[in-house]
Amino acid sequence: MSTLIAIGAGIAVLTGIGAGIGIGIATGKATDAVARQPEAEGKITKLLLLGCALAEATAIYGFVIALLCIMFLG
Amino acid sequence: MIKYRRILGESERGDNMGDLATKLQEELTCETVFKIGGIGIAESTVITWVIMAVLLLFAILMTRNLKVDHISKRQAAAEFIVVKLNSMVEGMIGKENRKFVPYLITVLLYIGVSNVIGLFGLKPPTKDLNVTAALSIMSIILIEAAGIQKRGVKGWCKNFAEPIAIVAPINVLEIFIRPLSLCMRLFGNVLGAFVIMELIKQLVPVVLPLPFSFYFDIFDGLIQAYVFVFLTSLFIKEA
Repeated sequence: MSTLIAIGAGIAVLTGIGAGIGIGIATGKATDAVARQPEAEGKITKLLLLGCALAEATAIYGFVIALLCIMFLG
Repeated sequence: MIKYRRILGESERGDNMGDLATKLQEELTCETVFKIGGIGIAESTVITWVIMAVLLLFAILMTRNLKVDHISKRQAAAEFIVVKLNSMVEGMIGKENRKFVPYLITVLLYIGVSNVIGLFGLKPPTKDLNVTAALSIMSIILIEAAGIQKRGVKGWCKNFAEPIAIVAPINVLEIFIRPLSLCMRLFGNVLGAFVIMELIKQLVPVVLPLPFSFYFDIFDGLIQAYVFVFLTSLFIKEA
């Protein structure tokens, strides 16, 4: 039983893939934008932080679900 | 949750999974430290009092005998901190919503301090789901109040049907999703950082935790405080 729960928790944490890809793309584009327009760095950093926070939320949800799996089923 | 814990404690659990579960459960439940007239005072509340006392003392010490000219170094530092924080939050929320800036700075300082307080051996209050839930409920009340104040009750109701009437249910759902995501983001980040740090400490107790602690305890905590305030101010701005 506990093996199955562990597998379930692992699958839930796979949401991190999406967040990783999203944050990677956002950071890449932000770097690009700063390289093109160094004077707009402040605004770009702010937007990047916002985007990262929103993208990261999915990974956090996955983590919370995995935690709940371990706690309430384990 | 407490009921579940009791059942868990009673049953015999020899396997590692159960150990981890009980450990996580212990971390999640906020313990009642003492009682005042039948009302239990949780550990996070007491630590919040400590943070309040520290911040208050700091503020009182920094702002004693202020002068207009020939200012002391202490006053210069205090002015620098206030002006920096003010301009940072005002930059997020815009000049027209200046009246919310003091509240947002208070929340920023509180979350920031409580996220790094783990370094001093205290349990961060933000690791308690109730604290982050309270913070995010305060945020959503402020956001909706700002919307009502700006548009009036009629305009606020009408705003749900923007841009087209068919998305109204989603806009109504947003009232509940926003605080939930604010709350879970802060809580999940702090708890996740804590769990990872515990695992690293178990794996390699020397040297290796240092750089990770720097990232998870200090950098991540401050970023999360910033993100919480940033998102709240963004929602207020577009309310």
